[in-house]
Amino acid sequence: MASEPQSPGLREVYDYTEGNGYPGDQQSLRLRRVSSRVSNQNHPQFDCSSTSTPEEEDEEGDSGPPRDIRATALPMAVKRAVRQVQQMQVPVVSRRESWKRKNTKTLRKLKESGRGVLSFFSLWSKTLQKIGGNFGGGVQSFFLFLRFLVVLNFVSFLLIAGFVLIPSIVFRSVEASVVNSTGPEECMDYEPNPQGLVLFYNYFLDLLSGTGFMEYSYLFYGYYNNTMVEDSKFSYNIPLAYLFTAVFYFIFCLICIIARMGTAARVVVATGGSTVGEYSMIVFTSWDYGCLGDGATKLKQKNIHYRLQVDLEEESIKKRAAALSMAQKVVLYFLRVFMCLVSFGLIIAAFYGIFAATEFSQLKSEQKGILGLFFEYLPSIAITAGNFVVPLLCDQIALVERYAPSTTVIVALLRSVFLRLVSLGVLLFTLWRQITCDGATNSEECKLCQYNHKVYPCWETRVGQEMYKLTLFDLLINIAVLVLVEFPRRMVVDNWSNKLAQWVGRQEFVVAANVLALVYGQTVVWTGALFCPLLPLINTIKFILLFYFKKITLFYNCRPALKTFRSSTSTFFFLVVLLFGWGLATVVMIYSLAQIRPSMGCGPFRFFSSMWSIVPMSFYNLSHTTQEFLFFIGSQSFSIPLFALSCVVMCYFIALASVYGKSVALLRRQLKLEGRDKQFLVKQIESLSQRHQILRHTAGAHN
Amino acid sequence: MGNKQTIFTAQQLDAYQDCTYFTRKEILRLFDRYRDLAPQLVPLDYTSHPDVKLPYELIGSMPELKDNPFRQRIAEVFSEDGEGNMTLDDFLDMFSVLSEMAPRDLKAYYAFKIYDFNNDDFICKTDLEKTLNKLTRNELTEDEVRMVCEKVIDEADLDNDGRLSLEDFQHMIVRAPDFLSTFHIRI
Repeated sequence: MASEPQSPGLREVYDYTEGNGYPGDQQSLRLRRVSSRVSNQNHPQFDCSSTSTPEEEDEEGDSGPPRDIRATALPMAVKRAVRQVQQMQVPVVSRRESWKRKNTKTLRKLKESGRGVLSFFSLWSKTLQKIGGNFGGGVQSFFLFLRFLVVLNFVSFLLIAGFVLIPSIVFRSVEASVVNSTGPEECMDYEPNPQGLVLFYNYFLDLLSGTGFMEYSYLFYGYYNNTMVEDSKFSYNIPLAYLFTAVFYFIFCLICIIARMGTAARVVVATGGSTVGEYSMIVFTSWDYGCLGDGATKLKQKNIHYRLQVDLEEESIKKRAAALSMAQKVVLYFLRVFMCLVSFGLIIAAFYGIFAATEFSQLKSEQKGILGLFFEYLPSIAITAGNFVVPLLCDQIALVERYAPSTTVIVALLRSVFLRLVSLGVLLFTLWRQITCDGATNSEECKLCQYNHKVYPCWETRVGQEMYKLTLFDLLINIAVLVLVEFPRRMVVDNWSNKLAQWVGRQEFVVAANVLALVYGQTVVWTGALFCPLLPLINTIKFILLFYFKKITLFYNCRPALKTFRSSTSTFFFLVVLLFGWGLATVVMIYSLAQIRPSMGCGPFRFFSSMWSIVPMSFYNLSHTTQEFLFFIGSQSFSIPLFALSCVVMCYFIALASVYGKSVALLRRQLKLEGRDKQFLVKQIESLSQRHQILRHTAGAHN
Repeated sequence: MGNKQTIFTAQQLDAYQDCTYFTRKEILRLFDRYRDLAPQLVPLDYTSHPDVKLPYELIGSMPELKDNPFRQRIAEVFSEDGEGNMTLDDFLDMFSVLSEMAPRDLKAYYAFKIYDFNNDDFICKTDLEKTLNKLTRNELTEDEVRMVCEKVIDEADLDNDGRLSLEDFQHMIVRAPDFLSTFHIRI
């Protein structure tokens, strides 16, 4: 017999060529090991001394045998036998080893039972599973995002309640003293309580617009006092607490978003982010084995069919685009630039509409009754209308631009994001113009108090009211669309079978548009949190209601989208868009803290020149050593070494990342080479065995 | 957690817990599901290791599997006799591999076996064509099937032998973030 390498994997290959594993031989498929080059990788041999797989050992240095058995690809009976042998081995192992093994085993059981308990507390996990099974990963990622926002808002509310709301309630009931100061009398003139007889329906209108009985309540900034309690044992500074809570709330949200982005980004980076492997990915990993029901299965199959068709079509489009003549290319680019300008023009028109609506609304703010309510909600109506109409038109424009399908989706999304966030910015800008008289604090109306005290005796409450109205209107519109558009549409499509109804078809759950709505709602809440401290609580309730409404509409009215939204990259994209919204809100907050003079008639900052100025004031009340310490941290002798150190650490991580990247590329190349080695050796073995057989035959023929 | 059950001995349950990714409660629940498929065939006492096999038709009629186009291959891969008739051991093994706690390599190994229709330890073009047709319910045209098969082999075949070996398959699975969540049956 020719000398052959003693690798067990190749031994199996040799057995295979001897005629062992023909398909007709229907013995257990699992006992026939799939031949592999690297024998120890997944199929540890039966010698019980080396039963740990390499990666398992790396993860848990001293993990006991039970974990290894479960991860091996052996039939149950064989696993039991292996386990028995291992257990018989135990007396040979030292006492310390066996104690460690028992520890890890109990720890593992504890961890699993803990996981079971935690999953009980995890919100809506069964619902999310059902949604994922029936509608796919993209829709499920929307609901996961919604759940994340609910939890974020609720925790923020707890933060605000603990540091601002509850102390305010306590101090108000205890009637702690309020700091007074002198100032121009007109600036401090603020009468939020409605005078005289209030009609009953006014209460309802006030609920919707945040005025009247709702204005002077814990809901808005104006109700909080600037109590600064200083007992011998206990001191609490409400304005400082209010400011720090707001700042910390923003930082906390940022940390949560980045932490979540980190886990999503890891997945994106691990896959290399490239589009290589798309077809094999679709063929081998897109079938959801948890898909239940005949309808869902058919849908999933149609989905996969559609995806493959889309990919093939993209390929052919790319080929066609590359084959365009120069003249055609020029025409196409010119067309694209023109359409881009058109879409910009549409967006600017929408902005002007919102601007005009806000100005008009502020003009008519004295109107009472239903008409007054309509004028109050005019900015929200304008924003919603713009956000509805402009994307539709942009979709039509995209048809002319003729990008590849995936590029079209991304371009449409970016346009929608831009439209939504900047329309909110336009609304805020309009408000700012009116509060600060176009920024000119020396003009007629703003000279006295640095803000327009006649129209806005308490401008923070006014801004808070606008945000409150936006949030409420968003929720009402969602409910109205659900009741008035989606349910009837489904009933019409289901019960009226003519061509028009079939062409319109059932509602499709468009993930991207819904996510942008969520991001918009959350941005509004962030912008308004400084002026309306209870807004996170209202938003939590709103998002919980939205979850259930969207779930209902999903299951009753919608058919799953044929066009899929990749769930792995989409989570990351949602969080990036959320970060944009956070950025906008941060800009607003920083500007309000630092630049605009707080109202003198209301609120915890009423006698400061800016909201931030409480910090230096309280700073000088700290003890001397603390001041010295904080000065030192801010000084150059601390910050420059800190900066140098962080540069060094960053360089280290960049070097580490490049080393890992290089080793990954090296291992990939090694894998390819090993494949070729294996082929070469297999051919060698075949030729040797053939020669051996020929020799045997000729020897037999001779004898 | 009283030892009120008389179906298995304590050692048997321990062995099952060590050899699968299920807890004691889940193993008993799975036994109930197994027995519900054929109460007259499956005894209530497994302490004497009875040799009971449920035919493929019963396994394939489970709600979790009955709409899955690959249910026959799944049953064949996990059954002892290779024909889809499963003992309780095979049943537990199958759902253990398909549970959410099984590691990626284990799942990839069995996924490879499932998609290898002719059991030759390689996913060749015919295997791919069969997989595609099951995935899309035979809706793709001949041309499209051929193009997609070519592209898949182009992308995933590292050793250039025109078919996918286990290593090629695993190398491709490493880059698929959704695999762990899609190769998962909740029971």
